[in-house]
Amino acid sequence: MSEKIGKHIAIYGKGGIGKSTTASNISAALTDSGYRVIQIGCDPKSDSTTILRGGNDLPTVLDTLREQSKLRIEDISAIGFGGVLCIEAGGPVPGVGCAGRGINAAVELLQELNVFDEFKPDFVLYDVLGDVVCGGFAVPIRDGLADRAFVVTSSDFMAIFAANNLFKAVNKYAPSGGARLGGVIANSILAAYAPELIDDFAEKTGTNVIGYVPRSLVVAQSELYGKTVIEAAPQSEQAQVYRNLAKYIDENEDSVIPKPLNSPELKKWAREWGDRIFEVETGVVHEMASI
Amino acid sequence: MAHHLEGSRNSCALHGALQLFEAIDGVVPVIHSTSGCGVQHYLGVTRMSGGNDPFGSPPVSSSNIGQKHVVFGGGSRLREQLKNTVKVVQADLYAIVTGCSTEMVGDDIAAMAREGRDQNWPVIYTNTPGFSGDVHHGYHLAVKALIEQLPDIWKERDKVPSGLVNIWGIIPNQDPFWRGNLQELGRLLEGIGLVPNLLLGSEQSVASWQQIPGAVLNLVLSHWGELPARLLADRYATPSITLDSLPIGTAISTLLRRLTELLKLDTIRTEAFISREESRLNFQFARLADIYFHAGFQREFVLVGESAQVVAIGEFLGKSLGLLPRTLIITDNPPDSVHQSLITRLASIVPGYDTEVIFSEDRTDITEFIRASAAQLVLGSSLEREVSEESGVPFFALSFPLADRIVLERSYAGYRGATTLLEDIGTAILAFNRDCHLC
Repeated sequence: MSEKIGKHIAIYGKGGIGKSTTASNISAALTDSGYRVIQIGCDPKSDSTTILRGGNDLPTVLDTLREQSKLRIEDISAIGFGGVLCIEAGGPVPGVGCAGRGINAAVELLQELNVFDEFKPDFVLYDVLGDVVCGGFAVPIRDGLADRAFVVTSSDFMAIFAANNLFKAVNKYAPSGGARLGGVIANSILAAYAPELIDDFAEKTGTNVIGYVPRSLVVAQSELYGKTVIEAAPQSEQAQVYRNLAKYIDENEDSVIPKPLNSPELKKWAREWGDRIFEVETGVVHEMASI
Repeated sequence: MAHHLEGSRNSCALHGALQLFEAIDGVVPVIHSTSGCGVQHYLGVTRMSGGNDPFGSPPVSSSNIGQKHVVFGGGSRLREQLKNTVKVVQADLYAIVTGCSTEMVGDDIAAMAREGRDQNWPVIYTNTPGFSGDVHHGYHLAVKALIEQLPDIWKERDKVPSGLVNIWGIIPNQDPFWRGNLQELGRLLEGIGLVPNLLLGSEQSVASWQQIPGAVLNLVLSHWGELPARLLADRYATPSITLDSLPIGTAISTLLRRLTELLKLDTIRTEAFISREESRLNFQFARLADIYFHAGFQREFVLVGESAQVVAIGEFLGKSLGLLPRTLIITDNPPDSVHQSLITRLASIVPGYDTEVIFSEDRTDITEFIRASAAQLVLGSSLEREVSEESGVPFFALSFPLADRIVLERSYAGYRGATTLLEDIGTAILAFNRDCHLC
């Protein structure tokens, strides 16, 4: 592989947790700061970059590859908000084929097309679908493709579970040149206990939380307009939250190899938090306790 | 501890299924996999079995899937391949077999076969990824597919001759002498009044497989034949006789008598037949006596092969011919449940003599066992030629892979197979003795 151009970042997290929204807003914030950014959606749903390009259609890499043998970058990319180069890897329809191999093939093709040499990005964001269910979905964090991976999680147990699975994958690949973990992005923060729960999980796994994104109507409203918060409500507090995340990713190179919890540890941890939340909700007050 | 495997003689499940389908007249296999699978079957299996390749080259239909079929699913490619195959080759049956990549992707092969059947094409399918097991497992999968799916294609049953006996457990090419062995067995069954349903080889077509349900008995001639017998017992309540191997020499008489008793055949006819065959064989034995002592036939030997071959040849040479089975190496990975019974049976071929029984498919291990045995005759596959020459002992190739012999109808089974085996092993010993005198 030729010398890597730009910082390559992979965003992971449970399906529906807000990865694409977070990634798109980070891309928008980075480009707003004058950086050249590529965002690559690695999900057969092909909706990673939708809010960067006003909801317009974009042919996916794999669909285009199926139709024509020779591709140009223009065939499979679109310029979105602030000049972000938007690419969707695409994949098979549900229940058919192998999406994991699809991601592998799309990434290979982007390298063959010299996308990075030609666009000369400062940042490349890979927005990878759901859980790391098989080797194909680990492609962006293997072989040194991405330098750092960030995981988006809420305080829901299944989101934490998916984050822990990503930690397992990073833990496996990082020692042989794969991406390390840049940090945890706490998303959809609503309940009072949520930041503390995610902090505790980060501490237990030797990682750190790089930002807390509150649940906000501004995000939902901006998405309905087909825009990022950075574009639709640049002066909002929410936009500042995303700018802070982008700033952290830009200025901070820290990364770790996480220590994922094994299955019994994770269950035990979850049960303890279950008890704790129940006590808070029902008003149990322990001596000397303060939450 | 796990260790690497060198020169394994057990190919993959896909190849096992292909071996079976290619051994039935009128069956056209359709491979749904990447392009190398069919070629590898030709190069690594059929061409390595004494020239047993059915067509002389590998013209097998294959979907030859590429990356886009892996990513988006290869079902449509298979549909197209099946359609094209039907256009090009008229077959009694099309059999879809699959490779590793299409199974990893999860292509719906059953649906493709069903689509074919909706067009009134006779299509069956079996999922045969190489990672699911070896060539023996592939034989199981193909046999199971035929037993379970053929009745859905041909609902009407032809009239079945009385006394029909199905033969199971002989895997084409994995036993290089399968054609000749089946023919000899067929001759013997006819000799006692039965109708053999050989199922594989010349003149064995899909019609033979359609007759399976009407058989009076399933005759199982290796552990690999137990599964089909069990399936048929469940479906049609057909009884079975299970043997470890197809016996050679007078040992086959026991089987013929057992069949006669079980199926209430004409005892007088059977005894007359056995007597005639044994007389002929004994006459040949007597003729051999002089050279037997002169050339030093009685010697310790190593035998390397599939379990059925090792049992049949080992017992014939040990019990009927007085050779000494020093080390018997079984290469087909029979299930653990039969290991002990095989060891017990083989270790006691020559009472009071210490026979070592080994299970291995690793060429390095096998070579070491042969060296350590210090035996004076090596019988095995072409892979054992080198160590035999190095050890300076006569060698004769008779198990898979068989790269340096032509086997068309040769048989090492039954009465006639006994004389053929004697001729061949004797010739190898004489040739070796002559070469030794010359050098």
